[in-house]
Amino acid sequence: MRRSLPAFTVVLVGLLLLLDFALINPLLAAVSDALLELVVLLAAAAALAGGVALVLRHWTDLVERRGDPLGSLVLLAGFAAILLAGFYPGSGGATDPAVRWLVAALLAPLIAALFSLLFFFLLGAMRRGVTLRGRQTAVMLVAAAVVIVLLLPVGGLLGERLAAVSGWALAVPIGGVFRGLLIGVGIVTAVHAGRIVLSVDGHDD
Amino acid sequence: MIDRVRGSRGALPRLAPLALVLGIAAATWIWPAENADGLSTANPDRSAATQVDEAFDALPPDALVLVAMDADLGTYPEIRGAVRAAIDDLLLRGARLAFVSYSPEGRAIAAAELERRGDSAALLDLGFVAGAEAALVRSVSDILPAGAGAGGEIASAIRSGGSGIGAFDMALLVGGSDIGPRSWVEQVGTRLPQLPMVAIVPTFAQPEIAPYLRSGQLTAVLATARDDAAFVEVTRSGDALRASDVPSSVAMLIGAVVALAAIAVALAGSIGPAGSAASSPDAAESDEAEP
Repeated sequence: MRRSLPAFTVVLVGLLLLLDFALINPLLAAVSDALLELVVLLAAAAALAGGVALVLRHWTDLVERRGDPLGSLVLLAGFAAILLAGFYPGSGGATDPAVRWLVAALLAPLIAALFSLLFFFLLGAMRRGVTLRGRQTAVMLVAAAVVIVLLLPVGGLLGERLAAVSGWALAVPIGGVFRGLLIGVGIVTAVHAGRIVLSVDGHDD
Repeated sequence: MIDRVRGSRGALPRLAPLALVLGIAAATWIWPAENADGLSTANPDRSAATQVDEAFDALPPDALVLVAMDADLGTYPEIRGAVRAAIDDLLLRGARLAFVSYSPEGRAIAAAELERRGDSAALLDLGFVAGAEAALVRSVSDILPAGAGAGGEIASAIRSGGSGIGAFDMALLVGGSDIGPRSWVEQVGTRLPQLPMVAIVPTFAQPEIAPYLRSGQLTAVLATARDDAAFVEVTRSGDALRASDVPSSVAMLIGAVVALAAIAVALAGSIGPAGSAASSPDAAESDEAEP
């Protein structure tokens, strides 16, 4: 029976957190808190490493004139602006008004503007989807058309009927399928975790 | 001459998306929401809005409410009106709000919302906490950031309540595609079952969230555009919000009609003899033809 270090760590940490969830024990709680701190620190370190890798990649692209130098320049300038606003002497960090303004006045509207194009990209993707995978796309489009009709923002008796049917559709067929998927995912995850714990698989990685 | 005619015919389809965007923009500008007689985004069944209102009514005076802002920028416009109405309504009731985010996009939205309101003694920014669900579990015992120091009145109230999520009288969960009410129910609800949790999520999350409402793990949920519109109508801040922050029902109707027309044209093209997908050169790429 071969058990790798990552699998062993996952099992140990999982069991500890599960025990802490079920039992009231100060020692167990302290160990669980320390593990959670470590996970939070690891996540923060991973985000930092990702940021550094991104900057290095685009800096290299810019210096060697590869890819999209203008895009790399804009990304690095944006990165620098946020860092400057968050790290200048006396800055309040992520809650500094300058950072908040950059996010609220530049970042959020820019991303919202990009997402607002999604409607038109979807129309284009729909046309292409019909060409490439006619049958599946047709089924999806019919379902989409039904949902759009149910959500039409009309008032009066028609609006009431549409709202009632859309509520039923969300609660019964769509909700049933969605919950079935979630239950299936939960069972598969539990079975897979059990196989790792019991070393049923030939390899744990 | 013939080439010029062909060129102009080819340019028309290319200009069509631009014309569509300009047409929709012009139509929504000409017919703003308040002129939309006969149109309604509000659900005649206002039970969801009433449940949220009742949950707010049950709050004690000077309540401490945690706003977990983890919406995503793609779906936030759908729930923005309801979120702003809920925050304004809580502030009007005298509640003190602390904002926290466990997703980067949620943090951007929280920053934008806080910037919109300016500095206020009734608002506290707890910032972004890295670590996703692990951070959420950790926040149950300690949610104050290291830099909070002595903090203001809200930080002191959280500290005197144990420094964790348990110090709050309610959690208002603004969800998206990342960490959302389901994670809260699983990670926080099981540890703090007495904490009332109210969720505002986009429509796509409704099937996932609805069972938690029925089981009582969530106190109230706003999960569709109609629920959101109904809530904005029943809140005290609704009148001030309706004109500017709630999506125009005319814009929604135009978008829906355009989408339906595009779907009809695409379906007609796929089944019609002239525009059959099978006759298209791209059809060679179809995975249906693959073994």
